[in-house]
Amino acid sequence: MYKYFNNIFVAISSILKGMSITWRHMINIRKGNVTLQYPEERWPRPERDIGFDLDSYNVIRSRLHVDIDDCIGCLKCERVCPVQCIKIVTTKAETKGEDLPDIGHTGITSNGTKKALIVSRFDIDMSECCYCNLCVYPCPEECIYMTGGPNSHKHPIDYEFSQYDRNDLIYKFAKDVDDEKISKYVSKKIK
Amino acid sequence: MGVIHGDLMTLNIGPQHPSTHGVLRLKVKTDGEIISEVEPIIGYLHRCFEKHCENVTYDQVIPYTDRCDYIASMNNNFGYAVTIEALMEIKVPERVEYIRIIVAELNRIASHLLALGTYGLDVGAFTPFLYMFRDRERILDLFETLCGARLLYNYIWVGGLSHDLPRDFVESVFSFLDYFEPKIEEYNELLTYNKIFIERTADIGVLPPEVAISFGVTGPNLRGSGVKWDIRKDDPYSIYDKFDYDIPIGAGEMGTVGDCWDRYYVRMVEMKESAKIIRQALKGLPAGDVHQALPKKIRPPKGSIYKRTESPRGDLAYYIVSDGSPIPYRLKMRSPAFTALSVLGEISQGWMMSDVIAILGSLDIVLGEIDR
Ligand code: SF4
Ligand code: SF4
Repeated sequence: MYKYFNNIFVAISSILKGMSITWRHMINIRKGNVTLQYPEERWPRPERDIGFDLDSYNVIRSRLHVDIDDCIGCLKCERVCPVQCIKIVTTKAETKGEDLPDIGHTGITSNGTKKALIVSRFDIDMSECCYCNLCVYPCPEECIYMTGGPNSHKHPIDYEFSQYDRNDLIYKFAKDVDDEKISKYVSKKIK
Repeated sequence: MGVIHGDLMTLNIGPQHPSTHGVLRLKVKTDGEIISEVEPIIGYLHRCFEKHCENVTYDQVIPYTDRCDYIASMNNNFGYAVTIEALMEIKVPERVEYIRIIVAELNRIASHLLALGTYGLDVGAFTPFLYMFRDRERILDLFETLCGARLLYNYIWVGGLSHDLPRDFVESVFSFLDYFEPKIEEYNELLTYNKIFIERTADIGVLPPEVAISFGVTGPNLRGSGVKWDIRKDDPYSIYDKFDYDIPIGAGEMGTVGDCWDRYYVRMVEMKESAKIIRQALKGLPAGDVHQALPKKIRPPKGSIYKRTESPRGDLAYYIVSDGSPIPYRLKMRSPAFTALSVLGEISQGWMMSDVIAILGSLDIVLGEIDR
């Protein structure tokens, strides 16, 4: 009999103990401590420009972006991708390091490298991408990167991209010109 | 009066069920409300991890290991990196070892917080879940500043790390620990010593040590049964032997040794011990270059290796056969959650329907790792 009432007493007192903790938190409630109304309000992204000893490292995971004018078509990013969601097609240009305004090709990257290849296709399927960031590290021209954060001067952050059609998640970065035009500038030697 | 036995009824829990922690189906044979047989049916999350690894290079495996135990990705990365380093005989810099231990222990805390929080949810306590998720969130924020990702980090690489710590990281971890350690007392008051919680978990689903060992159960589940076995102490890898910490074991404080409450409480104490390790590692953090030992090309010599590490769920091991090419010939992952789940049928016989949920929750399984 004693045990029965003791159990009831312990149960109630431990519930009250728990309740007192929740009450304490409720009284100490501060602004910003409550649910955010998501699409209207957002959590602040953690500060990104915190600086690393190696400044070139980019630590944000968001949508990938390619500055196609800087891309030399070395395929390093395509090879390293574990899910093979980057597809690049390149052809050898007749002249090395020359602008070809007709097909929107720039000859020299912003790092000063002369481009020998025309990138005619550069697709990234963001629905397959696993955001592992592996493609970002090996790029010699630092032209493939995740948007926002340390790169926000290059491209604003974009991490909420949804589409009605799956195919719209394939981002095409190469200049949209037809193959005939490109073939004019392709090196004849390799054929 | 004898007991009347009716026909057994087969009942399916899952594959979509909030307390199966993933996509798991439990085929339960019940006699009234008493369980006579539980058969876990797995494979709903199978993603061919091991086969896939035979087609990608060694460094491309790391993002896949992230996705096995997605609650504690750092520990998966860690185990994989340690294994390949042992095969290639790479000596990693001191700073890398320290940072690895800091992030792995932080992730252990995050993983235990999730385990305990959802366990409370399973047995009907909603509030502690919110509290623990709030604090887990702070760890995830730390990781986000560290490597940009919140869950799937790809941070620990073979021979080093993807990059060094950001500025002020050490201070923010210290301030997190200062905030977090008193919170453990709060969880204890809120959930651990709550009478209703004790009634639901103490003496339920007792896992005797012999059964645990014969099934190969490891980690907090084994320690909950009173066996002091922790790879960090018993087969130290990395620099775990440099730190001073205890291995908590279940003592049957509220009931029998090896009951659900013990398994729960071992995790609670383990968070304290992890915090202790992190403090020591942060204090001793040496300077250095984290990229110094990164190999140009990962091409291990011919041979095979089996190496185990202690993930938050137990003995996580990789078996790797290399044929000298940059692609693994065979990769096998020993998943601690798989053995933990296999013991479920054994220990839930004779308990009530609602106890199966409590037992399953106390085993802290992650289906991503079981199915791989
Ligand atoms: S982030 Fe990873 S998965 Fe995505 S494109 Fe780059 S390498 Fe491929
Ligand atoms: S690594 Fe950089 S330069 Fe090379 S193909 Fe990829 S984006 Fe272009």
